[in-house]
Amino acid sequence: MELPENLNKDSNGYESAEKIILRWDSTASEDARERMIFETDRQEADLYLQAVDEIQRSLSNVSISTSSNAGKNANAVDDQSKVNTTIQIAMARLEDEFRNILITHSSALETDSLFDPSSSSISTPSHHELEEDDTLSNDDSSHHDLLQLQLQHCESSDSSTYRSTSSIREVDLMPSEAVCDLQAIAMRMISSGYLRECIQVYGSVRKSAIDSSFRKLGIEKLSIGDVQRLEWEALESKIRRWIRAAKVCVRILFASEKKLCEQIFECVGTDIDDACFMETVKGPAIQLFNFAEAISISRRSPEKLFKILDLHDALMDLLPDIEAVFDSKSSDSVRVQAAEILSRLAEAARGILSEFESAVLREPSRVPVPGGTIHPLTRYVMNYISLISDYKQTLIELIISKPSTGSRYSGDQTTPDMEFAELEGKTPLALHLIWIIVVLQFNLDGKSKHYRDASLAHLFIMNNVHYIVQKVKGSPELREMIGDDYLRKLTGKFRQAATSYQRATWVSVLYCLRDEGLHVSGSFSSGVSKSALRERFKTFNAMFEEVHRTQATWLIPDTQLREELRISISEKLIPAYRSFLGRFRSHIESGRHPENYIKYSVEDLETAVLDFFEGYPVSQHLRKRSQ
Amino acid sequence: MTGTDQSSFLGRISIRRNQVNAMEGYHEQEIEDLELFQKQLSDRFAELLSAPDDAPTEAFLSISWIRKLLDVFLCCETECKAILLMERDAAQISKPPLDRLIPELLERVVKAMDICNAVTNGVELVRHCQKLAEIAVSALEQKPLGEGQARRAKKALVSLMSAMHVDDKESSVQKTAERSWSFGRRSGNKDRHHGHYRSLSWQVAKHWSASKQIHAMTMNLAAPRGPEASCLPAPVYILSLIIVFVMWVLIAAIPCQERSGLTTHLPINKHVNWTHSLAGIHDKIGEEWKKKEKKGMAGLLYEMQKMEKLGQSLIEFTDSYQFPGEKEKLDEVAAQVAELAEICRRMDEGLVPLQMLIREAFHRLVRNRTEFLDVLEQGAPVV
Repeated sequence: MELPENLNKDSNGYESAEKIILRWDSTASEDARERMIFETDRQEADLYLQAVDEIQRSLSNVSISTSSNAGKNANAVDDQSKVNTTIQIAMARLEDEFRNILITHSSALETDSLFDPSSSSISTPSHHELEEDDTLSNDDSSHHDLLQLQLQHCESSDSSTYRSTSSIREVDLMPSEAVCDLQAIAMRMISSGYLRECIQVYGSVRKSAIDSSFRKLGIEKLSIGDVQRLEWEALESKIRRWIRAAKVCVRILFASEKKLCEQIFECVGTDIDDACFMETVKGPAIQLFNFAEAISISRRSPEKLFKILDLHDALMDLLPDIEAVFDSKSSDSVRVQAAEILSRLAEAARGILSEFESAVLREPSRVPVPGGTIHPLTRYVMNYISLISDYKQTLIELIISKPSTGSRYSGDQTTPDMEFAELEGKTPLALHLIWIIVVLQFNLDGKSKHYRDASLAHLFIMNNVHYIVQKVKGSPELREMIGDDYLRKLTGKFRQAATSYQRATWVSVLYCLRDEGLHVSGSFSSGVSKSALRERFKTFNAMFEEVHRTQATWLIPDTQLREELRISISEKLIPAYRSFLGRFRSHIESGRHPENYIKYSVEDLETAVLDFFEGYPVSQHLRKRSQ
Repeated sequence: MTGTDQSSFLGRISIRRNQVNAMEGYHEQEIEDLELFQKQLSDRFAELLSAPDDAPTEAFLSISWIRKLLDVFLCCETECKAILLMERDAAQISKPPLDRLIPELLERVVKAMDICNAVTNGVELVRHCQKLAEIAVSALEQKPLGEGQARRAKKALVSLMSAMHVDDKESSVQKTAERSWSFGRRSGNKDRHHGHYRSLSWQVAKHWSASKQIHAMTMNLAAPRGPEASCLPAPVYILSLIIVFVMWVLIAAIPCQERSGLTTHLPINKHVNWTHSLAGIHDKIGEEWKKKEKKGMAGLLYEMQKMEKLGQSLIEFTDSYQFPGEKEKLDEVAAQVAELAEICRRMDEGLVPLQMLIREAFHRLVRNRTEFLDVLEQGAPVV
């Protein structure tokens, strides 16, 4: 065939180039299909690329000469078509080679290389173990609506098994030789106008590599419906796994893909490598975030708070890196989605907190806790807010409005009120915590009314408020937020309850030991009404026995408080009895059956007081005094 | 009687609403408002039904038509939610029959959210088809048309057809790209391109099925009758029906996982006034679906259907093309290529806004559910 003038000197070059191209036409020969150029040997590959370059040169030369001949040279047009065909064959071949190289080097990310058991933990808040609640075995199912929640999900932070996924770290996803080859091929494809094919192939192979990496990292494809149906406990472990995986994905996997794109398409401009990157990564990124999104929109209930905060913190931490990796216009939707999820998580946290407050207020169990001891609700709430104080750092940012409380003047009996003026200068979070304690007490006050015995009601309040105080004192962050003023108020309340208890129980008992009414009127000498005295002793004994029998089964869990109250009782009881005995025993002992009336010695009473508030019954018969 | 002011429908409701107990039925004004709303809905659906079958823009089931449908959905969601939630206390929403109807609505909302995500993913497949078509277009636009370019176009078009007819089930089986590329298996174009599509896995859960979701959403979907028809159950029904309908249309139009067995009989009560046009749209789409389902297809989206037709015709052309070709034929092909280019251009312009609109619908569904859940929580009876 004849070629136009200016190609004559290259005619040999063109011919041999064409030969090479045709030899490797995979639609034409079995051999061409069987082998891959870029796996055969270096020389073959270089020859082929040179051949392609030669053909491309010819194409531009031919176009110039064709246009200059204004299409009159039939040969030229013919030749152009031929060159065209040859190019197409070459491009088809290069596409296959490109794909093949990619596939050969596209496997899931080696996560083993990322493992480092001795690594330092990531900067997530550390939460301490929650105390075990063994009294929860007291099964009253009506208590358990709120209380199913074992708050044991606060383990120590995911001491990372992935080495430093605390910042972006690109790894080499393929050997540099492969990258060079890909680069060389891409250049030719793009300069021949086959950019689209190049992007398609690249995207499809790399995307499936990412899919395998995802599987290795344990990233699941769960629908929103699935997530709503799963038990929260199951979701918690998924969330933990997700947090670890997301860090690897954003900081290592996606970042490395981006770098790979940049390397392969280095010579051809940033738009192209952006396009390839997004083609590869957009779908997986959205799939990754869909899980976090599903969590952020799940139904709100108190036990979810802390894991949601963990998720929030992790995403917050990742956000700058997400923005760095997905920095092009076409990746807007990914960045936007991440930001949306973050704000939904924040909303969820706020919503859960206020759910919790309502739930505490409305917690409906009416069956009184036996023995007036600490109510499971109290334990649960105090443990919960201790945990909240651990998450103070995050929550202080998130909780920005005051709790909605009742108004002092509303007259609404179903909600307590709280005066904020006294609480100037406190953060909204602190106000919420105080409010929760207020609401808890309000609820407890209501519960105490279900005790038939007023003394027990007071004991109940004393126990529970004391517990609250102890828990607040036990946590420095909590104490700092609640503040010593309010703490004083609480302390005053449980002391008040102790006093009320004493009054309720002991006033009438001690009334038996009073002086008035025993002396026969008009006589100053030892004119004591023996019958009245015997009555007194009998009544005292009966009352004391009753109180002893009953209140031995009552419980004050806190050792110190129990001691204090017993001492306080003794301080009033023992001297009164001692003095009563001292003054009047002779009158009884001079009559018949004194043992029926003076049943107990002072020591007996002292011993008996030690039985109080132990929480289990004692025998009816006190040790009588031995004679 | 109601005034003739031009203010927004929503504005009118909020000004005149009174506190009314759900069980005692609507205030007269509210009944009127509801009827007006239904009339507006009816009008909008009539407009959608009347869209031409074949037109450069705004054809039935085109991208812009679907965007309009989504607009109707968004308006409806706003109105219904306003009617149900504004100035009502929690107790009213928690009373029968709403205590059953609203949780059912929320169940549907969750499924709709998943469908939105699946369809958004499906739009990516459409975009993929667009890119393949663009290859063919750029190849075939070359003048004079070389055989090389024709082959290139054919290759792209074959891939395109393959993508469009990818069986739902098959693509949910994730064969990795590796397997389809082992040595010695390369027996020509077809295999290669088929392998190409297996790596296009759906980003949804394996067992998730669009048709099953729709089926579940239609459970218990019945128009309220008698006295209930003019009080609170009515907007609940309207919203429920529209959600189910719009999701159904999206699934029919845009490829997503596991659509086989998609019902073509939504429980639309044709005796209810405003549903007349909606039923018309439903019937029309149902017919098309039944016709095409057996052959396997990438969705009833107008642009996809056109692309398929043009693609097939162009494949035939490129198959037998020999340079330099006949002028008449070349002119005919040029017209088809121009049409295909136009479709690509419309996809290029319209797919991203479509995805954004679907995302907006998703957000509304989320907010809708959150708000209703909050209200239900408040109204929950204290034991």
